[in-house]
Amino acid sequence: MSSSEFLPQTQTHTRARVGGWDLLGSEISVLFRRRRTWAMLAAVALIPTLLAVAVRLSSSTLDPGEGPPFLDRVSQNGLFVGFTAMVVAIPLFLPLTIGVVAGDTIAGEASLGTLRYLLVAPTGRVRLLLIKYAGAALFCLVATLTLTVSGALIGAALFPVGPVTLLSGDTISVTESLWRSLLVAAYVTVSLLGLSMIGLFISTLTDVPVGAMAATIVVSVVAQLLDVIPQLDWLHPWLFSHYWLGFADLLRQPLDLGSFGQNAIVQVCYVAVFGALAYSRFVTKDILS
Amino acid sequence: MKLVSRNSLGWLPALVVPAVVVAAVIAVPFQAGATVDLPSKTPEQVLALVNDSTVSAFSGTVEQSADLGLPSLDLSAGMSDSMSKALPESTDGAIPLGMTTALELLSGSHEFRLYVGGESQSRVQIKDHMAERDIVHNGSDVWLYDSSTNAAIHLSLDLEASAQAKSAELKSQLPTDLANPAELAEHFLDELDPSTTVSVGTDARIAGRNVYQLVFTPRTNETLKTDTLVASVSIAVDSATGLPLQVTVLAQGQTAPAVQVGFTAIDFAAPNAGLFDFTPPATATVTEQAMPSPTEGATGDQPGDHSPAADEVPVVTGAGWSTIVEVPAAAMPAEVTDNPLLDQLTTTVDGGRALTTSLVTVFLSNDGRVFTGAVPLAALQAAAE
Repeated sequence: MSSSEFLPQTQTHTRARVGGWDLLGSEISVLFRRRRTWAMLAAVALIPTLLAVAVRLSSSTLDPGEGPPFLDRVSQNGLFVGFTAMVVAIPLFLPLTIGVVAGDTIAGEASLGTLRYLLVAPTGRVRLLLIKYAGAALFCLVATLTLTVSGALIGAALFPVGPVTLLSGDTISVTESLWRSLLVAAYVTVSLLGLSMIGLFISTLTDVPVGAMAATIVVSVVAQLLDVIPQLDWLHPWLFSHYWLGFADLLRQPLDLGSFGQNAIVQVCYVAVFGALAYSRFVTKDILS
Repeated sequence: MKLVSRNSLGWLPALVVPAVVVAAVIAVPFQAGATVDLPSKTPEQVLALVNDSTVSAFSGTVEQSADLGLPSLDLSAGMSDSMSKALPESTDGAIPLGMTTALELLSGSHEFRLYVGGESQSRVQIKDHMAERDIVHNGSDVWLYDSSTNAAIHLSLDLEASAQAKSAELKSQLPTDLANPAELAEHFLDELDPSTTVSVGTDARIAGRNVYQLVFTPRTNETLKTDTLVASVSIAVDSATGLPLQVTVLAQGQTAPAVQVGFTAIDFAAPNAGLFDFTPPATATVTEQAMPSPTEGATGDQPGDHSPAADEVPVVTGAGWSTIVEVPAAAMPAEVTDNPLLDQLTTTVDGGRALTTSLVTVFLSNDGRVFTGAVPLAALQAAAE
């Protein structure tokens, strides 16, 4: 970036000496002011909308067990839209958006030539990494909440709403089902934290954000491929994608938090390992742009 | 020079953190399997411990795995949808908990949640991928519910004719006995006879509890002519409560357990009574069934203890470990004999078709009779003649 003789319009660099919280606030506001972020959230909200509209317009009723899980229940109870949308979005769509956000973190600044201005301020590279990761993690939460809330709204708008039948056959009230929806959103958010850190690490390796984004998405697809190869079953519990669909345990009666815990442990391992790799790479990196 | 040292320090976390994480991942299961030293007991004392067990209410997670050398039949996994389509699916929802369940339990691993609230209250939840099958027993009511088909079956047990026996019979036909280590252990203890050596193995830790291991080994006795595929059966007994927590069956010439059912977590507090009060969801298809038809048992390869018509009574020959059960042609349900899966599973042998596993052999003779036992195929063929 040759034009960097003059201070360019940096993404995060608005004030020279700012505290960590200010920098975090500015990072978040930049992230959520981007048109790309809004477009991705809109696309996430489109998943339950499409599902609900398709079921509403279709005259044929589904047999139980046909299509994605819970789809046959949607026409009887709109609250299932969110659950079905979550199952549909987890394997590809959510990792895709996470890949874009996390892959852009460092490489995006580097490609814009703003990275070294960020580091001119005594922010410190560690703090910058933490702030970038916090922004990506917040996006995970916002994306899953967008899916859950838009699913509940479109479901309530198009279909009757009533007590929800859990996988165990027991029925819970609407209020409790909303709680469980939020729990599912929390589960999925936690599920994506490991991938976010992998994306951040990949982002420190390159100055080409598109490359980091694509690599992160490829990693998530490869992990899911490995997860279905029976010869690698010893590896499966340690793949970050292994428990992605385990939120079904939150839809059983009594509530089973076992897989929530296992999932959290696996994600913490990935955050620790790739956080350390990202730290080492970023601290030792020669920042040229 | 300074730069180099900063750089090499910078790379330190990249080496240390992954090493620590990997070490923890490896070390934690080791810790769980740390040696346990309980006061030594004779097999009789451990059996007495089981007999004196007063545990009547508990809840826990059970893991069941089978490695019988069969092709994977995990019908609940998304990968084998086509196989599950190959099964004749009847609309009344009677299949999901019958034949399919039985076949499924023979391969791969499954997780159950088990709730027992005394003699007449129990609930088994078979955890499937994005689905669940429930078996709820509460007094004279038994509910079977399958969330993937949203179908419920209600069975009313006949209380007049000895409710206990009936419920025991029903349980023997449902996968409950495969899911409940306590019942499995009792079954083996009843089978105990002079053909078996009983010993106490190494103490271990299962589901966070210290356990004694009762090991039953078939006697390789020339005079008894024992000829079995079973290498040993071990039952892990909780040292504090006497409740059997795990059953492991080893097959001849195979190091991995052929069948293993055991708790991975157990809680001796009485489960919430509301769990046994099952009301089917308003949208479910409910089928009322007086009693399950006797031949529809999920455990078709076990000696049936029901009393059907004379030409349907299974014939038991041999004794001890080399027992062979012969099921007459009339007793075989069409659901089993017409099943397309049968052709995939069995191979053509002299005089019929056979399914050989590391633990159990099934021989379907050409005249429609079915022989089964934990014996080599040759023994079944000999019995058929």
